[in-house]
Order: sequence, then C-alpha cells, then structure tokens
Amino acid sequence: MPSIAHLTEEFLRTLPFFWKPLLLTFQLTIASVIVGSIIGLFVALLKVSKLPVARFIANAYIMIIRGTPLVVQIFVLYFGFYKVIDLGQFWSAALALAIHSGAYIAEIFRGSIQSIDKGQMEAGLSLGMSTRQTMRRIILPQAMKRSIPPLGNQFILSLKESSLAAFIAMDELFSLARRLSAETFDEMTYFLIVALYYLVIVMAFTYVVHIMEKRLAKGEA
Amino acid sequence: MEKQREMIRVQNLKKSFGKVEVLKDVTLQVGKGEVVVLIGASGSGKSTLIRCINFLEIKDGGEIYIEGKSIDPKKDLTKVRQKVGMVFQHFNLFPHKTVLENIMEAPLIAKKADKEETKQEALRLLQKVGLSEKADAYPSSLSGGQKQRVAIARSLAMKPEIMLFDEPTSALDPELVGEVLETMKQLAQEGMTMIIVTHEMGFAKEVADWVAFMNQGKIIEMARPQEIFNNPKEERTREFLNRVL
Repeated sequence: MPSIAHLTEEFLRTLPFFWKPLLLTFQLTIASVIVGSIIGLFVALLKVSKLPVARFIANAYIMIIRGTPLVVQIFVLYFGFYKVIDLGQFWSAALALAIHSGAYIAEIFRGSIQSIDKGQMEAGLSLGMSTRQTMRRIILPQAMKRSIPPLGNQFILSLKESSLAAFIAMDELFSLARRLSAETFDEMTYFLIVALYYLVIVMAFTYVVHIMEKRLAKGEA
Repeated sequence: MEKQREMIRVQNLKKSFGKVEVLKDVTLQVGKGEVVVLIGASGSGKSTLIRCINFLEIKDGGEIYIEGKSIDPKKDLTKVRQKVGMVFQHFNLFPHKTVLENIMEAPLIAKKADKEETKQEALRLLQKVGLSEKADAYPSSLSGGQKQRVAIARSLAMKPEIMLFDEPTSALDPELVGEVLETMKQLAQEGMTMIIVTHEMGFAKEVADWVAFMNQGKIIEMARPQEIFNNPKEERTREFLNRVL
C-alpha cells in the first residue's frame, strides 16, 4: 500500500498530465449524454406510441442494449464498423456510450411522460389541438422537467462508463492511469489517484443535481 | 314548444368499456342556445356521454351529428373539437404556463391565430370571468374556483359553438361553487349551447332548458326542469330525486 505522502507527491507531480485526459473524459461524457438524450427521447416517443411496430422497435432496441455489455458495444462500433465507416476513436466511444445510455434515458423519459396526468392530454385534445401538438407543447415540457434528476444520475453513470473507452486506446482518464502504472510498476498509486479524480467529479456533480432537484421541487404545485 | 335549430344530435349511441356497457342506445337532441343538464347517479353514463360528444371516448355504435353533420372520428376530430369546448372536473390547466398563456395556447397553436389579437381576446375573456388581475399568475397560485373560471375562459378562446361541462364544481370547496356556477349562468344567458353534468340541482332548476335523467346507460326521462323536479314521470327519476333533494 503506498503511503499518503507518496500518493500526495505523485498526485501533484502528475497533475499536469491529467489535464488533457480529464477534458477528454468530460467531452466524451457530455457528447454521449447529449446524443443519448436525443436517442432516448426518440425511443421514448416510440414506446408511448399507439403503433405496435413503433413499440416493438423501441423494446427491441432497449432489450439489445441492456442485454449486452457496454465494452462489447464499444468494440463492435470501433472494430466492427471500422471497415464500413471509420468513426475514429472519439466518436466510436461517444456513439457507443450514447447508444448505450440512450436505452436508459428512453426509460427515464417514458416514465416521466407517463407520469403526466392524462387530463393534460385530454385538455389539449378538447381544445382542438392535435395529439402531436399537445405532446410537444404540453406534455413534453412538463415531462422534461421531471426527467432532470434521473438524467443527472445517468450523467454520473455515463461519466464512469466513459472509462471503458480506454480499451480502444483513447487517452482519457483511465487510460492515463494505466499508462503511468505500466511505466512505473507503481500500479496502486495511479489507480487510486484516478479513482480520486472520478470520485471528486461525481461528488461535485451529485451536489449540482441535488441543488437542481430542490429548485424544481419548489416550482411544483 | 318552439323548435330550435338543431346543434347536436346523438342517435342510438353505444359505448362499452371491456364487458361493461356504459351507454346503451342513448338518443339526445340539443337545439342551438339550449342548456341541457344531465343528472343521475354516478356510473349512470353521464360523463361518458359528453366525453363521446367531444370524442375523448370513441363510440362503439350509433351516430353523432354536430350542426346536422355526421362526425367521422377518423377525419374530423380536431375540427369538431375546436367547435366543442370542454370543461373538466379537475380543471386540467397547464401548470407550466401562466393563466394568459393557458388561454392563448390553443388559438395560437391549433388555429395559428394572430398573437396580438389572441392576447386581446384572452384578456377580454379573463375580464369576463373576473380574473383580469391573474393574467400573469401560474395555476398553482389560484383557488379551485379561479382555476375553473380560467378553464372556462380557455375553452371560450377557441370560440366554440357548444360547451360541455363534466361535473365542473364537484372538485371545489363548497364556498367556491357559486362563482363558477355564476360564470356558467352568464354564458347560458348569452345563448351558448351547453350540456352540463352536475349534481347542483338548484342550478339545474334555475338555468336548464331541459333536464335529462340518466340511469344505467340510458336517458330514461327528459323534460323541462319544473316538470322533472315537481312531477317526474318515471319511478326511478322520483327515487333518485328523493335521494338527492
């Protein structure tokens, strides 16, 4: 077990190296959550659709994504599609993460949409608005608001899962920790340091989500 | 009896939920400017009947004519609903929009109406229901009676020819019922065609042109209010009125 003094010393020494990988981890996470939310919204709308075909497609997607490991999904996208289109490391990883979190985000959105009182849809329809207009103008804005806290949790999961991009040799946080360990044979030190990075980010973000939840709770009637 | 221009005709309407037959062969005619109050025990099909007229429930059988035209629920839905306003027991205001935005929403989105004109009209309607000072408030800050009056104004913004009321005062505290009934009475006096499901018998006596008594999915008696309240023809009507009056 490395001493606290050693850990602190190594943490400070390697601080400059972590800057770029940290940024990359953030970029990966943000890209995957944004694209994942778009996918998630689309799939959620398929899931609440009246059309059986739409619901089948949504369910199949969610089943396949939740039923297979993320690292396999990343490899399929990066190595499997390499010959069809070369997405490059970043977008292979970001898209794999997005498609992955999209399945979970779809369930978040579906839950929020279905949690909106059905009187809201009836009110919109009774005023002569179409189902689509009522969905877009009345249901979705309310559902999105309710989705924010669980989306925050999904963001945290995506942040941690982005570490799997190290396996397609992306220079994000975890990848750097692996390289430093390999160079020095001081594995424990660097894995503990990188764990600390993740922990601090997650704690900071958990706090932000908590504040947002409180704010939103105030707005609810 | 003077023959009014026909506004709504419901002919042999049938509706089931699963195995439960909620409407059994309902026939009803409402002339322009008439106020029909539907009374009856809960579960007798009153709400289902008016929800069918607005196509929030799709009929299983029979015909619904609006202004003499048979309505095909596959085609004419949004157009018909723009002509037929609906006020719900639980108001169903849009909580993320202000009072004014609630009223302006449907004209702007469904009719693509001019924004400034819509706003003026919305303000006029708010004044009519006595809530001008609440234009920028959110529904959560209103009392039940105020919410329901906003809901009425919201419906009127689409300039409907017919207004349906589904137990509009049932969710209100007793002291708030009066202000909503007053607004409805005013609307009736202005010549709006209305079908109202309510348990407010005093209001029915005073405002209704016709009172229809529903029992087990059928209208079994429809008459002028003084007749039905003072001298009901049907035994079941009499029993019901004895229980509620």
